[in-house]
Amino acid sequence: MKKVAVIGGGPAGMQAALSLVQMGLAPVIVECSSALGGKLKDWHQLFPSMTPAHEVLDELTGQIADAGVEVMLHTEVEGVTGQGVTLAGGRKLEADAVVVASGFDIFDARLKEEYGYHIYDNVFTTVDVERMLNKGAVALHDGSAPRRIAFVHCVGSRDEKVNQKHCSKVCCITGVKQAMEMRTLFPEAEIFNFYMDIRMFGPGYEEMYQSAQQDYGINFIRGRVSEASPTIDGRLQIKAEDTLVGRPMKMTVDMLVLLVGMKAGGSNAKFSAALPGGGITLSSSGFVAPVDLFAGNVSSGLEGVFYAGTVSAPKTIGESIDEGAMAALRVAEYLKGRK
Amino acid sequence: MEMTFYSGFVIPFIVGTSVLFAVILYKYVRWMARLPRRDKLLVWRRMFSVATLKGLWECFTECLLHRRIWRVNPLLGYMHTAFALGWFLLIVVGWVETVAYLGWRFVPLQGHIFFDYFTQGMDHGPRWGIDFELIMDILLLYVLSGLALAVFKRFRSRSLGMKRTTRLTLGDRTAMGALWFVFPMRLLAESFPSQLPLWWGYSIALGVFFVAMPFSRYMHIFTEIPLIFLRRWGIRSEAGREKSFDHFQLEACSRCGVCIDPCQLQRDAGFWNVQSAYFIRDRRYNNLTRYVADNCLLCGRCQRSCPVGLELDTLRLGSRWTLSGAPSNGRFNYARGVDLSSGAAGSGDRRVGYFAGCMTLLSPRILRAMERIFDAAGEPVWWADRDGGVCCGRPLKLSGDLDAARDMMRMNTELFRNHCITMLVTSCPICLRVFREDYRLDTGVDGPKIEVLHHSEYFARLIAEGRLTLKEVGSQLFTYHDPCELGRGCGIYDAPREIIAAVGSLVEPTETRSKALCCGSSLANTAINDIAQVRMAQTVGRDFEATGAATLVTACPLCKKALARGTSLPVQDLAEIIEHHLA
Amino acid sequence: MSAIEWGYGINAPRTMDLDRNDIGPAREILAEMPEWGACIACGGCTATCTAGNLTSFNFRRVHTLVKRGEYAGAWAEMNKCMLCGKCRLVCPRGINTRGVVRLIKRKLGDY
Repeated sequence: MKKVAVIGGGPAGMQAALSLVQMGLAPVIVECSSALGGKLKDWHQLFPSMTPAHEVLDELTGQIADAGVEVMLHTEVEGVTGQGVTLAGGRKLEADAVVVASGFDIFDARLKEEYGYHIYDNVFTTVDVERMLNKGAVALHDGSAPRRIAFVHCVGSRDEKVNQKHCSKVCCITGVKQAMEMRTLFPEAEIFNFYMDIRMFGPGYEEMYQSAQQDYGINFIRGRVSEASPTIDGRLQIKAEDTLVGRPMKMTVDMLVLLVGMKAGGSNAKFSAALPGGGITLSSSGFVAPVDLFAGNVSSGLEGVFYAGTVSAPKTIGESIDEGAMAALRVAEYLKGRK
Repeated sequence: MEMTFYSGFVIPFIVGTSVLFAVILYKYVRWMARLPRRDKLLVWRRMFSVATLKGLWECFTECLLHRRIWRVNPLLGYMHTAFALGWFLLIVVGWVETVAYLGWRFVPLQGHIFFDYFTQGMDHGPRWGIDFELIMDILLLYVLSGLALAVFKRFRSRSLGMKRTTRLTLGDRTAMGALWFVFPMRLLAESFPSQLPLWWGYSIALGVFFVAMPFSRYMHIFTEIPLIFLRRWGIRSEAGREKSFDHFQLEACSRCGVCIDPCQLQRDAGFWNVQSAYFIRDRRYNNLTRYVADNCLLCGRCQRSCPVGLELDTLRLGSRWTLSGAPSNGRFNYARGVDLSSGAAGSGDRRVGYFAGCMTLLSPRILRAMERIFDAAGEPVWWADRDGGVCCGRPLKLSGDLDAARDMMRMNTELFRNHCITMLVTSCPICLRVFREDYRLDTGVDGPKIEVLHHSEYFARLIAEGRLTLKEVGSQLFTYHDPCELGRGCGIYDAPREIIAAVGSLVEPTETRSKALCCGSSLANTAINDIAQVRMAQTVGRDFEATGAATLVTACPLCKKALARGTSLPVQDLAEIIEHHLA
Repeated sequence: MSAIEWGYGINAPRTMDLDRNDIGPAREILAEMPEWGACIACGGCTATCTAGNLTSFNFRRVHTLVKRGEYAGAWAEMNKCMLCGKCRLVCPRGINTRGVVRLIKRKLGDY
């Protein structure tokens, strides 16, 4: 049976492996962390249906176990070719094809110093909020309930100042989702979302946005927050321009949530064509560049190497799973004529 | 022997010399006459002082020996010395030679220059035991060796250690072409003294060179002399206006091109024709565009390397004022009397005031660190601008808007005085420089003295006084970026290094201290875009990464932001590393 | 210029007539600084503005009006800018905002 190395055990990698099994191939998932699931492990509920994240995760991991897919945990990949991958320590994992599904990194919010992440106690990222939601312990640093919450869109997205020109696609809807979750948790709190543009591209998203405005009473203010500073009583003052009114504004909040964007995976650089010996092509944003964005969207251009999921661009979980299946199909096509 | 010292061929030489001296005299007298009264008084007062003697010595070391060029680039130094000292000695020895052979008598200028022609048939054996022929031949060879280098440099500048050489104007080309012929023609004519066409050639080459010279970069040969004296007498260019004295600086520029290589706009961002040599050329010939005037970081790297010691930054600021400056006309009156500081008037009474600066307000880590350090040192501090305030005025000054900048200065001075502080600490070197150069807070002229310190100096003092105890947090390896305004601008290099030494060890990049690179985001440049700024930051960043340090430390909030875009190293302000080591 | 009320006239028509407005000067500014066209009007510049903290100056609004060919009062408004550079530090599109201020002043003003 032909062997296919799948780099990354997130939704895209898991679906790729499952589809490969169905096509009669033998996938090996190489995962650097201690468990399958990727970042899905940390999420609470998924937009727009508010499906608990663990339902999706359990379904995928259950199938992987049932199918008996070989999984190598705690294993870093150092290099990629069409003949297999090089693992940390120089060990080679030979394979007939490779699916790169190594995903994305979360933008480090500390780089937007002016928002005060890791400087002021009550500045959180969307990832922090998901974790708090999972623990059922959403609160300010001192354990109290926030009375006023502000979400800042586009932190580490569409921002040349941190070399992140691209739109991260899912933060807008995440912001809407979390604002609604906050409203449910803190019915008395005032909630504000500061956005540059609201991009509701998926099915049911626009409806969710409208519901957030109308049913959940979330205030949407069109303006980028320029900075946050501490007040004497330990709260945070944020500044923005309400661009729809045309006047600068400031307001004091208890909790500031930064909608952190998706950054190209740190491992992409290790696979780059710019390195001696060649490799795969990266786009200027650092994500891998597929052959094209249509029928070739999971092909790397390098023989035997395919992509799935957010390694090539920000995507939703559903889209990543779709791409896993697509990549498996392309691998099967590729291996069909070969001995 | 009766000599007329006349032949038809001397006419080009005589015409050239007359034009040269007439033009030079006209220029110098005009520029001197237009000096402001204050400068003229300075000249009169200092002319008979030791400054003049020092000037004489500097003329010898710089105009003849070119010591400073030697330091920058020995080959270029040799070329200049060969021309200047060689030619000078040819004239002096030639004059002595005339006396030796013809005795004490009047000999017109051409008699000295074309000595070998007019003394054909005379015994040219040694006189007074000195072989003048041999000395003159050696000197000529010396000059020719310089010429060979000059020709070589024109075509292969890299071989002289210069990546770039300047582009020429018409006057330059004419003068340079003639100059290239002067000494070879002299060699030929003196070798075959009976060949009249050779003497014609020599004389024409000299004549053309002399006529073109005042309109070319070779004007620097003479102009550096008055410049040296005027500078010794204390005359300076000014940022707020173009002055008649500027002409001495503009025409003392030889366009040697030493300023081009250090320019990061050229080196890393690919901008041409904006470097100081070109700026001075354009201003001298009245072709200066706003783009050239504005496209400069004013980082001071070229000024530091200029062998003639020109005030390149000040000259550029003067031009910016001429091109874009406008009277303030009270346009900032809206900010009058604004006081957003932390306390009522007098709240800083006899204490330390802290002026964060606009850029620092976007760097909360610096603000938090400052707060904790002040606390740790037990220093009650008046915060001048935590909730905003009036800009220090330096950005307006840098863009040529000096009059408006003065409005800012007046408003801030009033604020500081109202709060009766005795010391002003700032985290921003841009503010620091304008506080020191323009506010004159520490002179006591218009109120009690206020000492102005950069936070690095303030920390160094706290540590020295034992008011700040730092703890060991394992040995950390730092590298340090000298901000332009702090280093070359205010001469502060040691205080930041002392602080780093107190908390870890320091590795320096290849270009450091007065040679340090600019972060690329200087406020002085309003012409370049983000891409160019990032490109410069990346080049600088690579330099720091090569040191192997774990953290890049700087002492300017703007540099900090700019460098963070160009490197993967964590970038921290001095205040942050101190905060991290507070006991 | 200084007597002009900025945008709050009672009787003046409020409609921007893009058929009548002369877009020439704005085009010239764009030609010199194409990145000006990249503004997404996030308002970060206005939010952080040192001058805007003290007076009604709104950089984003004024430069956007200039883009539409509404020049009246723009020069006088831009004259309130202290050129401190905070806006350039926060601009997510990397626009040379200080350059925009100076260009608008130059094209629409009298220096």
